[in-house]
Amino acid sequence: MLQLHSVTKRYGSLTALDGISLDVARGEFFGLLGPNGAGKSTLMSLIAGLRAPEAGTLTLDGLPLTSARSTARLALGLVPQHIALYPDLTAVENLRIFGELYGLRGADLHGRIDAALEAVQLADRARDQVKNFSGGMQRRLNLVAALLHRPKLLLCDEPTVGIDPQSRNAIFEYLERLNREGLTIIYSTHYMEEATRLCSRIGVIDHGKLLALGTLDELLTRLPFDEEILFPATPATTPLAAQLQPHGDLATSGGIVRFRPRPGYKLSAFYALTEAQALPPHLFTQQRPTLEAVFLHLTGRSLRDA
Amino acid sequence: MHPILALLRKDFLHFRRNKAAVSLTFAVPFAMIWLFGWIFGVNRKDSGPSGIPLAVVDASGHAATAKLITALRAEKTFRIITEHPSALPKRPLAEADLRPLMEAPGAPFRFAVVLPADLVSHTRLGLHLIFLSNPRNEIETQTVNGILQKTIFSHVPELLGQSLQANAKRFLGEDTLRQFHRGIARTVASTFGGDADALERSMAAADFGFGAFTQPRDESLRRLDSPAADPNQKPEIKKKTSTADLFSQIVKFDTDQVVGAKVRSPMATSLVGGWAIQFLLFAVSASAASLFRERDAGIFQRLLAAPVTRAHILWSKFLYGVGLGLVQLVVLFVASSWLYGVEVLPHLPLLALVCVFAAAACTSFGMLIASISTSPEAASGLATFLIMFMSAIGGAWFPITFMPEFIQYFSKLTLVYWSMEGFSAVLWARQSLGQIFPILGLLGGITVVVMGTAIWRFNRGRIFG
Ligand SMILES: Nc1ncnc2c1ncn2[C@@H]1O[C@H](COP(=O)(O)OP(=O)(O)OP(=O)(O)O)[C@@H](O)[C@H]1O
Ligand SMILES: [Mg+2]
Repeated sequence: MLQLHSVTKRYGSLTALDGISLDVARGEFFGLLGPNGAGKSTLMSLIAGLRAPEAGTLTLDGLPLTSARSTARLALGLVPQHIALYPDLTAVENLRIFGELYGLRGADLHGRIDAALEAVQLADRARDQVKNFSGGMQRRLNLVAALLHRPKLLLCDEPTVGIDPQSRNAIFEYLERLNREGLTIIYSTHYMEEATRLCSRIGVIDHGKLLALGTLDELLTRLPFDEEILFPATPATTPLAAQLQPHGDLATSGGIVRFRPRPGYKLSAFYALTEAQALPPHLFTQQRPTLEAVFLHLTGRSLRDA
Repeated sequence: MHPILALLRKDFLHFRRNKAAVSLTFAVPFAMIWLFGWIFGVNRKDSGPSGIPLAVVDASGHAATAKLITALRAEKTFRIITEHPSALPKRPLAEADLRPLMEAPGAPFRFAVVLPADLVSHTRLGLHLIFLSNPRNEIETQTVNGILQKTIFSHVPELLGQSLQANAKRFLGEDTLRQFHRGIARTVASTFGGDADALERSMAAADFGFGAFTQPRDESLRRLDSPAADPNQKPEIKKKTSTADLFSQIVKFDTDQVVGAKVRSPMATSLVGGWAIQFLLFAVSASAASLFRERDAGIFQRLLAAPVTRAHILWSKFLYGVGLGLVQLVVLFVASSWLYGVEVLPHLPLLALVCVFAAAACTSFGMLIASISTSPEAASGLATFLIMFMSAIGGAWFPITFMPEFIQYFSKLTLVYWSMEGFSAVLWARQSLGQIFPILGLLGGITVVVMGTAIWRFNRGRIFG
């Protein structure tokens, strides 16, 4: 449905996007995972037609997505990273304006507004001014404002920033339901948990480059290890870390050491070492690698440190 | 650090970061004071009113009036019009032309002097002149009156001499009069010295030296004239008034207010247009600055992702500005009607129409400012500067004729000037829709050009970036 071919975008001398090529199929829940400043919002704005790329092409269902094409716009919904609502107006008034911009009116529009507010649990605050909403409530309204016209492709730019776990879960379920009903979603985030839970396919982006692209499993199998062991970085574990050095990758961040064994390294050998040093087993967590590990492997940095 | 100091430091940091604000802080006051001095011709020879169109019709057939007209031409206050401005083939203005021309929209002059056939009376010692005016602006009218009187009074003696001469000629016959002149000239020349021929020529031209009345006197003469003068009194003024008094009895001015004679409260009516337009400019440019608020709130992203173009956003802001301006103007005029008796209600439909066009022009101006500014601070600094500049040269403070003539050309490029023309055409001159059409057309033209430029700039500028 959406095709990007060698898309490059610069802000002055800064290259925010560097030759991005990407295909998103109908019905996908596509995740764009990257740290701050990776270029996620820039990519979203190009797809939404807010900016034009310096090089490359973007097409939606074969139609070029230039900033002037309004037919393609009808098929798009954008949830901007920042709250883009009129603070002095009520929730209903805001939604009405955004609905009318897409040509909706009358009973149809009212019905959709009611349903939308219901879906994000804001029905009881429908007639309050948006500036009096909590941050999380504004986020939820920010999300549904992009859905009134039932777009075919929804661009969500970090829609859950600053939201409590319950509301976040509600948003996830809402988006998953919409996706099941056929909505194609592009979802940008720097939370690997979100990408892991929601996305059928993930693009890892950093410094304007698409570093990896695939399903979660595909990304994980690209790792040269399939288990990792985490333990606290303490004076007691320092000798162990030194002994593990020849057998795999070691990375320390946030007081935690991650050990990714080389292929062929036997975990029994590892536990033999810990026993020899009388380190209690509860110190060690063995897990399948996560997206975090993928990112670390691709960039040499932890997603959280980036 | 004390919270106030910390916050103060924050404001300075903020200010320093904003290049436009920094440059405007220094540039605007400087430019302002320079411009105003320039506009009003401070420290320059061409200061003071200049180029006020004054029509002069000479139907008197007197030789001496040529000198008077030359003297009027020499006044830089006036631009003397003696030819019909539009008639083809060209012909001198006639008295019958004046009224229609002055009543017409875009009148080529608002003041006219007629030297009628009975300028010089044969039956009594005195002059008769006709003064036609459209006293749309009080200050201007008073200036014209003052300078006109001064110039005419300084030629009264000569004209009176003509009057005496004419009577003498009639009674004595031409030959006798010539012999009389020659006799006197010879006697004067042989008694007091001088050239008898020159004296005779000047007597024949009726120059009896009365002109000395209006020339500046030397100190001793002045004291002679008012021997008992209190030293605290200003003798000069006394002198002038006494001359003026003398002449005002001799010169009969028929004044005729051509336009606005029926206006109930002339002063407020002639001033309210200038107030209105300045107020409108400030109000409307502030509303255009709300574009910055929406940009900063990121709302343009959502709008532009919808089937909405930049032009849609700008035109909606434009219409909003026009609506807001219209309502505020109507309130302002209705208030001026309640408070100062300006007759608004009978002209409300036409006035509202002018208000729409004026509001449109002002709004497009506000949009242009927003389109070339990078921040609301820059926009408001630039707007303040330009509004004051346009108001000054457009005539909202003083009649434009008080500025050097070359600036008056620029006046006519401002929307302030044309909006005021529009208000005045409706409230003062009570013109019809057909008559104000050209003004509406001009305001509409200004709007289209300015708004076009603004949209073009917006598409390249940073507000949607
Ligand atoms: N309007 C702009 N002008 C100049 N540089 C910009 C602009 N917008 C973004 N950038 C730069 O482009 C790069 C990518 O920014 P972008 O906002 O796309 O990142 P992001 O992945 O969305 O980050 P975040 O997770 O913080 O939202 C950054 O280095 C940023 O500084
Ligand atoms: Mg972003």
